[in-house]
Amino acid sequence: MGLMDQVELPKPVKYVFNWGRKYSLWCFNFGLACCAIEFIAASTSRHDFIRHGVIPFAHGPRQADLLVVSGTLTDKMAPAVKRLYEEMPEPKYVISFGSCANCGGPYWDSYSVTKGVDQVIPVDVYVPGCPPRPEALLDGIIALQDRIQKESLKERIAGRRLDPITLGADTPLVSDSSPALPSGGGAT
Amino acid sequence: MTDVLARKDRALSPEETEALLRDRLGDQVVGSTVEFGTFTLHIAPSGWHAAAQLCRDESLLAYDMFDCLFGIDAREEGFDVVAVLYSTSVGTRICLRTRCEGGRDAPVCPSITDVYRGADWMERETYDMFGIDFEGHPSVEPRLLTVENFEGWPLRKDFHLTSRVAKSWPGVKEPAELDDEGNVIERIPEVGDAPGPYDLDKAMAEQARAINKPELDEGDADQDEADKDASAAKDDGDERPATEIDQETFDKLIAEGKSERIARSKAKAAFMKKQKAAAAAGDAPAEAEAEDAPTDGIDKETFDRLIAEGKSERIARSKAKAAFIKKQRAAEAADADDTDAAEGAPPDQDVEVAEQADESADAEVEATEEEPAKAPADEEPTAAEKAEARRKEQAEARKRKAEERAAEAEAGDADGDEPTQGPDDEEGQA
Ligand code: SF4
Repeated sequence: MGLMDQVELPKPVKYVFNWGRKYSLWCFNFGLACCAIEFIAASTSRHDFIRHGVIPFAHGPRQADLLVVSGTLTDKMAPAVKRLYEEMPEPKYVISFGSCANCGGPYWDSYSVTKGVDQVIPVDVYVPGCPPRPEALLDGIIALQDRIQKESLKERIAGRRLDPITLGADTPLVSDSSPALPSGGGAT
Repeated sequence: MTDVLARKDRALSPEETEALLRDRLGDQVVGSTVEFGTFTLHIAPSGWHAAAQLCRDESLLAYDMFDCLFGIDAREEGFDVVAVLYSTSVGTRICLRTRCEGGRDAPVCPSITDVYRGADWMERETYDMFGIDFEGHPSVEPRLLTVENFEGWPLRKDFHLTSRVAKSWPGVKEPAELDDEGNVIERIPEVGDAPGPYDLDKAMAEQARAINKPELDEGDADQDEADKDASAAKDDGDERPATEIDQETFDKLIAEGKSERIARSKAKAAFMKKQKAAAAAGDAPAEAEAEDAPTDGIDKETFDRLIAEGKSERIARSKAKAAFIKKQRAAEAADADDTDAAEGAPPDQDVEVAEQADESADAEVEATEEEPAKAPADEEPTAAEKAEARRKEQAEARKRKAEERAAEAEAGDADGDEPTQGPDDEEGQA
């Protein structure tokens, strides 16, 4: 990516480039509990997120652009999530799907459950629900794609991320009109 | 083990099993229980390994399958370990249970990994959760279920959940939880909170009320009765406050220091009750009004007499109604047929007739009372919750209808009574 991380692309090029990126998100499913079932439902014919250009079940983290953490993350599992996330090539995105992945969910007081996947890796979109419906995942994907469309790849590669989106709390979801970058936002 | 299918009929009974093991192990078999169809044999720790070995190798027992193994926190007495074994040849299950040596501080139990290989990880998990050391286990470390550097034994009863220490459980723990004053805690989500699905909170509160009925109901009834008395006069006048709550009750409860929510809901209920009472009392709700209430339809004398006797207004009214109808009929009959012997009937017969009439009136009163009483009882919980004008109107209409029907029935009854009697002015005067 020698050039991309040095130079800000001209606007039309950036547009086409980002358009291509947002509609070819190879998705790596980190299914950990019940939410994974909803994720699978979202990938199958009824909800079918392939029509949004999300390609499920990437062969491995090294081929993936998008990590969907769906389910209860335990402290024991957390290092594995971190490791697989780190194996993904930049630019990479994370959707935290379900209450468990967002904050520990019903197991917030458990001795073994991590209080949110954002304790381990930075998250781009939070999809709330226990479990969220597949539609909610589609919503999250569209919100993410909207963000990718407006993104500056240079900034992204430099590791500067926008603040995460929380579905339902950060409105409007799809018509976020300020592509301006905050100074070093996002949890790391 | 030549049979493919498990042969339960060949299994030893719990008693036989126990006798066999006692024979081999002596007093290391401490006791036995059969609970929920599960046979549990209590073994002394020193005989733990031998018991497992015996269960596997004894041809009469042949517990060849290791099912599971786990720990139990026995509070002051330390920890128990339970192994569940299954026999594929005869299809029975047995629990072996032992109390670890070492009490709470250093519980230790002999390992049975060399008897059942499958016990390996089960024992490691038990070590993870309870801190029970297994003597003779290849290695219970590193920790299997928790992170390697986890401190503490999470399934011990005295293990503290740090999250709970930092932040206590939000809201109500049980559906029927009461606050200090004995009121049901109804968790109403704050603005911005996600509400429960399909009024889950409300459903829970209702359930809670049902569970806590006895004391609560009485309190509520007293409360509302008092309210009704206190503000009966006021209620006659005002039609329907915009807020649809009983302001007096509300103020009173607030003054008593109840939370606003509770006060509001109780006031709502009180308001509803009043409305219903007003509707039930019909056109002339208060006794004071009865004086100038239209006397058509009721026999005033009977009414006054009954009131003086201390009967309730409603009973008096309905009896008076019956008496009035009777009189009317009698008068008509007398007009139509002067020759009736009723006129000359002996007084004692009249008295009897009057008594009969009284009784039938009583029965009618009971009948009429039952109907309106049933209707509000059915509606109470939902109506009190919702307080929707629409529903109230419906209820009122229904009640009115019921009353009309009752009145008709009365008239019909009076018809039936009529032929046996003459003019019964006496009844009114008696
Ligand atoms: S959020 Fe709910 S549905 Fe999803 S993994 Fe956790 S418990 Fe299961």
